[in-house]
Amino acid sequence: MLSYNFKYELTLLLRSRWIQLLSLILVLLFGFSTYNGLKKVETRQDSIIKAKDEVKESDAMMLKLLDSVERGMEVSASSWTIPSSPMAVGNYHPRVAAMEQQPMSFIATGQADLFTHYVKPTVSGDDASLNFTEMTSPVQLLFGSFDLAFVIIYLLPLLIVAFSYNVLSSEKESGSLRLLASQPIGLQHWVLQKLVLRFFWLSLLVLVSLTLVFLVLGLDPFGEPTTFFGLVGLILVYMLFWFALSFLVNIWVGSSAKNAVALLGLWVLFVLLVPSILNQLGNSLYPMPSRNLMINEMRTMKAEVTEKQNEILDNFLRDHPEYALNDTTQSRGFYHRYMASQNLVKEKMAPILDSYEGQLQNQQNWIGKFKWLSPAILVQESLNRMAGTSKENYENYRKQVVAFAGEWRQHFMPFLYNNKDFSQLDYPNIPEFNYEPKAQNSWVSIPPLLLIALGLFGLGFLGSTMRRTHSIIMDS
Amino acid sequence: MYGGQKALDHLNLNVKEGDIYCLLGANGAGKTTTINLLLGFIEPTSGTAFINQLNVQENLKHTKKFLAYIPENLMLYPSLTAVENLDYFSGIAGKTFSTPELKGFLEEAGLQSEAFSKRISTFSKGMRQKVGIAIALAKEAKVLLLDEPTSGLDPKASNEFGRLLRKLKDKKVATLMATHDLFRAKEVATHIGIMKDGQLKQQFVAGDISLSELESAYLNTMDYKEVAP
Repeated sequence: MLSYNFKYELTLLLRSRWIQLLSLILVLLFGFSTYNGLKKVETRQDSIIKAKDEVKESDAMMLKLLDSVERGMEVSASSWTIPSSPMAVGNYHPRVAAMEQQPMSFIATGQADLFTHYVKPTVSGDDASLNFTEMTSPVQLLFGSFDLAFVIIYLLPLLIVAFSYNVLSSEKESGSLRLLASQPIGLQHWVLQKLVLRFFWLSLLVLVSLTLVFLVLGLDPFGEPTTFFGLVGLILVYMLFWFALSFLVNIWVGSSAKNAVALLGLWVLFVLLVPSILNQLGNSLYPMPSRNLMINEMRTMKAEVTEKQNEILDNFLRDHPEYALNDTTQSRGFYHRYMASQNLVKEKMAPILDSYEGQLQNQQNWIGKFKWLSPAILVQESLNRMAGTSKENYENYRKQVVAFAGEWRQHFMPFLYNNKDFSQLDYPNIPEFNYEPKAQNSWVSIPPLLLIALGLFGLGFLGSTMRRTHSIIMDS
Repeated sequence: MYGGQKALDHLNLNVKEGDIYCLLGANGAGKTTTINLLLGFIEPTSGTAFINQLNVQENLKHTKKFLAYIPENLMLYPSLTAVENLDYFSGIAGKTFSTPELKGFLEEAGLQSEAFSKRISTFSKGMRQKVGIAIALAKEAKVLLLDEPTSGLDPKASNEFGRLLRKLKDKKVATLMATHDLFRAKEVATHIGIMKDGQLKQQFVAGDISLSELESAYLNTMDYKEVAP
């Protein structure tokens, strides 16, 4: 039976205008979403390049000014911006701390439309007020990004529903089921074979479409075969899950209309409702501390420490005798007091920031426990990881930037407290930010998804053997 | 029992090889239920159906190897050709044939050769019935179950269908045909039964009864009262 189903299922699919249309739609969706994703990555990459070019220009200007100052020439610049002052360099010539785009960044926007991909930390800035939030259109946030992940997670299941909702019911409605059932075959086996074959042909279509789209858009799918075939593998197990649901519905529900409604209901449940409910519950159980309150707290603290800046500076120098000893002038100005008080603010803010991060972690842990309830969440998480745009990737980037901001500040502290001028010779030693992507296992969702899909097929098959053939034929 | 009602009641029917048994009766008499029972589509609450000496309910898959079924409206795959449909249905029944052999069956069933490679969507009901007969021939069925096969066929196609049944009779196929068509039943049947309310009310050897006698017997069984003009 399998060889004949295999042979004629393809013939029937190829001759069906509906299936031809769906195949064309799939290719167009893959094409447009990949193109869209690539454009977004290009925009992000361009803005990073532009920011780095600005730094280069600003550095060139700084070196010229330094050269003039060191030659004892007059420079026409405000005194606080002259780069012989280490604070001027630290504040007005910051480095770009960029989250470089990964090779597969185009497949999933992930958190990229919420968070920025480069910042310029300065010596007098606060870590807590480093702005990682991306400037985005609220309309885009409302509707999401039309990327490959969106097509795979949201639209591909709808195409599978269209491919498979009436495998059995159409035979029943056209009248051919009675002829089929009069053959020495098990109807459950027959339906299973038809769905497995449709899965096989659709998988082939997905593989060919993706390869074609990648090649047309100038990407080499086989340049990184592990990543490409990992992506295909993830799509296939997700498709298998939806085919398994379709098998259950084909066996247990009835008419084509009921099947379609049942499958669309499951789509709403797994793709929209479960992720939204988990998100809502996570927010309710572990509410985030207000960012406004945190900023207000920080301002109050700053106001308090401003009043005690002399005392704070004394305490700071007592804790750092190396600065006091190495400086012969012992001259202390605004930045000496400001930087010393910044440390104190940072220490006092630590519990508030910890509670903020703690709640965020609690929320993520809670969602992590229940993400298995929706394959859509599992696939989105895997695709984000593959693209390097997951919450872990952005958290990793944020931590690297905060660490770099500290390094940047610390680099200029000895210049400040030793009242040492910044010179052209010090320029090559300026710290640079190098983003190190976090290695993550993107394929971790594949085995559990495969198990869920096979479990559903098993459940459907077991259930269908309990349901006698005559009830499938006579029920209508 | 079917739908809470007694669909068949003490039905005792035996169709031997080479017999063409026509079941006559009004709508709801139990003709289609009898065929559904033999196909295993419904389960009897009591009693047993046998095909080729095998209990249908106990050997559901096995008994289907011996039988072919042609419903009132034979629906095949419209986007496949006659040869492809025959190949598919023979194939899933476990029979493999070359294309010339498949064409041979279609020819034997009386389908014109120019129709062999045409899609079923272009076929008339009579042509589809011929493909159904070709499926039975290819399957080498010992039992043929027909449910109102000639309803809706024009007289020529209906006559041709009768000729095919007689050809199958010569091949020792046991045929059970549910029909309303008394004329066709008298013409092709070896045995005729009249059903009412799930019971087999009368049985005849077709050669022992004339068409008018059959008509009278049928109308009497149905309690038909002629209305005066």
